[in-house]
Amino acid sequence: MKILLAEDTTDLNRVLTAALVHEGFEVDSAFDGEEALSLLEKNGYDLLILDIMMPKKDGIEVLREMRRLNNISPVLLLTAKSEVDDRVAGLDAGADDYLTKPFAMKELLARARAMTRRRREYSANDLAFGDITLHADSFELVGKNSIRLSVKEFELLQAFILQAGKPLTTSYLLEHVWQNVPGAMDDTVWLYVSYLRGKLEAVASQVTILGEKGGSYWLENGGAWQA
Amino acid sequence: MSESIYGSHLKKLENVREELTEAVMLLRRKMAEENGMDPVEHCLSRIKSEDSMREKCRRKGIPEDEHSALEIIHDAVGLRVVTSFLRDVYAVRDMLVSLPSVEVIEEKDYIKKAKPNGYRSYHVILKCHGTVYAEVQIRTISQDTWAALEHHMKYKKAISGNTALIQEELKRCADELASTDISMQTLRDMILDQERT
Repeated sequence: MKILLAEDTTDLNRVLTAALVHEGFEVDSAFDGEEALSLLEKNGYDLLILDIMMPKKDGIEVLREMRRLNNISPVLLLTAKSEVDDRVAGLDAGADDYLTKPFAMKELLARARAMTRRRREYSANDLAFGDITLHADSFELVGKNSIRLSVKEFELLQAFILQAGKPLTTSYLLEHVWQNVPGAMDDTVWLYVSYLRGKLEAVASQVTILGEKGGSYWLENGGAWQA
Repeated sequence: MSESIYGSHLKKLENVREELTEAVMLLRRKMAEENGMDPVEHCLSRIKSEDSMREKCRRKGIPEDEHSALEIIHDAVGLRVVTSFLRDVYAVRDMLVSLPSVEVIEEKDYIKKAKPNGYRSYHVILKCHGTVYAEVQIRTISQDTWAALEHHMKYKKAISGNTALIQEELKRCADELASTDISMQTLRDMILDQERT
């Protein structure tokens, strides 16, 4: 996990960097907004920690600029206690969280862990259920055979495995797997469930998706699904 | 070469080849009438050439004679049926194994269980009229495309050192095509379902 820390106070920058490195993160340090932006151009980061009050370009400008460039890495802002407007502006500009100075080192580290957790846990992690394995790095579904899934098929099966046994309603799936994109409808979900049923069968798996068109669907190990 | 490795049996082989081809033809007509769609994209057949048969005998370390060609090796007569959809593969298979003149010697479902390199196809060895062996390969267009293209690559002879990467990527292509085959079958089922209701 790689972090970009932008903080103009040399001592604080040094202390934070040391603490984050000690925590197991790889850290690039910047001392002003422009330096932060040029590092952002060169490298990808899993988290950005931006001080708001910085020379050349302040933290909010850096944030606006990176979001404009479609950089979606999570951002933690460091603000002074009195800067309510800054915090609001920062969150509105696309920050994910903020921390008011002075803060406890413990809390900063906990927030860094929390904000990188989602990626750590869900990226490149293989999921298993019953006799199948779903490889996150290759979208490969493996049973007695292997097959490659499309992005949406992968995301749908991932949702089913992560909440195995729980019935997921069609509208839940439309919201969480399709992010309610225009054009996605009950039939879309049904079609993708049908695709997955065929593909589970193709890898000769005992795992099946139960449920009727338009209703709730859930994953079952060894359930018998009939066309 | 003085005499055919098949001896005087070439005519018998030709007859079996024609009989099986005819059976596939009849199924195509029947299914086209019933479902409005010919399940077969194309159907090829051949008698294994003199040279290939002798080469295969040598490879297997068996004598280049009639007995080897007709009794030990089972693909003197070969049929390849290429279907549009996945389910059609099994329709062709079911028809062939139920022919009265035919006995099933061996079946290998490389669709249900693909070969490690990604190859998918349904193989069945038949014994026709109690005497002539024939090998039938049935697969979808996508599976046939993969097999044909993979065959053309000749990467096994290359010594560039990235054979492992090539094999891995070819398998990925096979698995992606297999995935598409199922999606197309699913779509077709859905359309047929809507037409029925």
